Amino acid sequence: MTTLEARQVSCSFGDCVAVREASVRIVPGRIHALVGENGAGKSTLLRMLAGAQRPTTGTVLVDDRALAPATPAEAIRRGVGMVYQHFALVEAFTGLENLMLGVEPVTGPPSLGVLAPDRMRARAREVADRTGLDVPLERAVASLGIGERQRLEILRVLVRGATALLLDEPTAVLTRAEADGLYALLRRLAGDGATVCVVTHHLDEVVEHADVVTIMRRGAIVHEGPAAAQPVASLARLALGEIAGVSAPVSPAADARVALAVRDLALAASAPSGVTLSVRAGEIVGVAGVDGNGQDELVLAIAGLAPAAGARGRVELAGRDATRWSPGDRLAGGLGVVHGDRHRFGLLAEATVHDNLVLGDAGAADEDATVARRLAASGAQPSDPGLHARALSGGNQQKLVVARALDRAPRALVAAYPTRGIDAAAAAHVHTRLRDAAAAGAGVLLISGDVAELRLLAHRLIVLYRGAVVAELAPDVDEATLGGAMLGGGA
Amino acid sequence: MTEPSRALLHRVVIAASALLLFFDLLAFLAGDAPLSAILRGLSATWGTPYGIGQVLYKATPVLFAGVAFDVAYRAGLFNIGAEGQIAIAGLVTAIVSSKLPAGTPMIVGVPIALVVAMAAGGAWASVAGGLRARFGAHEVIGTLLSNRIADAMVPLALAHGFGATSFRTHDVPASILLPRIERLGDAFRGSAASLAFLLAVAVAFVTATWQRRARLGRELGWVGQGPSVCAAEGIPVARRVLLAMVLSGAIAGLSASATVLGYKGHYELGMTSGAGFAGIAVGLLGRGRPWGLLLAALLVGTLQQAGLVLNATIPKESMDILFGVAILAVAMVTARPRPEAAR
Repeated sequence: MTTLEARQVSCSFGDCVAVREASVRIVPGRIHALVGENGAGKSTLLRMLAGAQRPTTGTVLVDDRALAPATPAEAIRRGVGMVYQHFALVEAFTGLENLMLGVEPVTGPPSLGVLAPDRMRARAREVADRTGLDVPLERAVASLGIGERQRLEILRVLVRGATALLLDEPTAVLTRAEADGLYALLRRLAGDGATVCVVTHHLDEVVEHADVVTIMRRGAIVHEGPAAAQPVASLARLALGEIAGVSAPVSPAADARVALAVRDLALAASAPSGVTLSVRAGEIVGVAGVDGNGQDELVLAIAGLAPAAGARGRVELAGRDATRWSPGDRLAGGLGVVHGDRHRFGLLAEATVHDNLVLGDAGAADEDATVARRLAASGAQPSDPGLHARALSGGNQQKLVVARALDRAPRALVAAYPTRGIDAAAAAHVHTRLRDAAAAGAGVLLISGDVAELRLLAHRLIVLYRGAVVAELAPDVDEATLGGAMLGGGA
Repeated sequence: MTEPSRALLHRVVIAASALLLFFDLLAFLAGDAPLSAILRGLSATWGTPYGIGQVLYKATPVLFAGVAFDVAYRAGLFNIGAEGQIAIAGLVTAIVSSKLPAGTPMIVGVPIALVVAMAAGGAWASVAGGLRARFGAHEVIGTLLSNRIADAMVPLALAHGFGATSFRTHDVPASILLPRIERLGDAFRGSAASLAFLLAVAVAFVTATWQRRARLGRELGWVGQGPSVCAAEGIPVARRVLLAMVLSGAIAGLSASATVLGYKGHYELGMTSGAGFAGIAVGLLGRGRPWGLLLAALLVGTLQQAGLVLNATIPKESMDILFGVAILAVAMVTARPRPEAAR
């Protein structure tokens, strides 16, 4: 039983105040949700509660005693463990080895003894049996899915004796079904007396699963109360200050030309058949599926960055065979790609906003005008082209990437996870821009792990499972059919 | 004074003190009086026109090599092959230029020689660059091995038909030798510095401007920061990698202007050895700024010349130690705490 409290804590990074005099009390037995936009300060507050961030002023208390020294080691000693958004697992190690890392059980003298993995295995089994936390311990992490990795992280915190569990955006990378599973687990843990605090963007999750909700805006706590009593819309208004309106999808003409087509593209060596799909001009086709079922391979193969497995298949842009085109030729041929991994394929963190906005088409005479136009269209804040991209928040970085791709007026646009990990206001902006692109005649292939997003934007859905298209569905299909298809049930 | 700049000054003082302390220690170990050794070293380098000329001469190939290293380094490549690129370029430049008819006007002969030097250096670097761009073979291995091959090929070529003797080429026409600093006055007599130094300085500044302004120059820097991002945005990364290596080799090759055209009038074995490796340090010390590269090259020139003068009492190899200390000191001074550590 661990009660966590922040008393008038503030945290500044240079001139930037991330959290301003926030007070919150998190009690055992409940699921406490911390919500707010990107940059609202919720992750910083969570890190302060976990000892991972020292407050500039104010105190963190664990069971009414100050957390001192304010370090993660002290926090875990007092029973407070944190699960980060970006997992800290060694891919080449097995689940068990990752559990042991840093707290290796040994027989004999501590620094000279022999590793005793069996002791850790027994302990992990005991925790797993008690909580129903099912994780394959003997397999390398590299072969685990996102959901399994997350459960491993949670198990790692629990075997270290945590009774208070802090999770930063745990559902950002999960499918709906996985997220429901996670909340069921958290509910069991809370039922056993654990203290649970979850940071999330997803307000519907809060209403559905949380007991208490604390809403932050611009570093300050603006609301705290029972979660179930609040309709999503009123929570959104509290978190955002306003609600971004979304218009209804505009259907494309039935005889519109095909903007992007993929024929028999092999996404996995094991897939029984290649993927075939086409996107007409003005149409938004949603690709649903659990992460890791060929989405990344599909995007890379269309972009020309990695050949399809076995070099099988064909990519067509506006009816022309682009299979052998270089990535640059494809962009010149009317393709736009917003990659899911912004750091790997989107932005140079150490280059300026100016340079990032013209990567690939730098050096034109009207470069400054292009930068100004793209920056204005992006709506990114602060809108200073001289800043380094790393100075911008994730949501604003994503706006830049989207603006750069759309300003080139692509005839076919591939958008992979375009709103993953960014706040609701930035996501609404991206949604509007994708809609506008389709309305302007682009064929859009939208890949997302967020079913609500797909339903909102797509004219039709396809479902990827193990590198193959297993279903084509209407966006208003019922949850059970879609979920079943995503898990390989077919339709 | 703000807190960070005070801390910086603090570290500069510490670094300078370390350099001085090491020099004192070396002088003391060699049985010389430290202060007098410093004064003798300074007066023999920056104290006389001849000394200055010698410093500039020694700094020239090193500056070319430093700029060459920097060009590749910005593109994310660690070109440690300047040593071989310089040797091959010197040899080929001397061989080709020596075939020019006697009395070839400078306005014709020098550009030909410089183009040959760049082509030879660039071509030699293109081997490692091509292996990297096409097959992903690491450029450190490629350039390291091509240094060894150059080491063997140069004497082989000299001994088998391309040399006047087994250790040197024929002379190039006297009419295409670059003007020496001697022309400025009798005090510079015997100094080997030539117009090539100004060429090196110009190359350093022009290269920096190109990297900042030109499309290709900027793209090289972006490729260095994030090749996968650049590939996704349609920049042909492999071609840019090859370009960076070829350009790096070409600039290294220009050092033939200082040695073949500016000093001896021919190429001889060992004439350029060490310049390429010193250039790596100059590139790292210069921190990607033309002024930094120039100052670092001058430091190398100063230490080398002072080393020769003090050689009677303090072994000149000590200067290499001092240069190493300078690199470590600058690394210390410019080191920034990692963001995580700062919190």
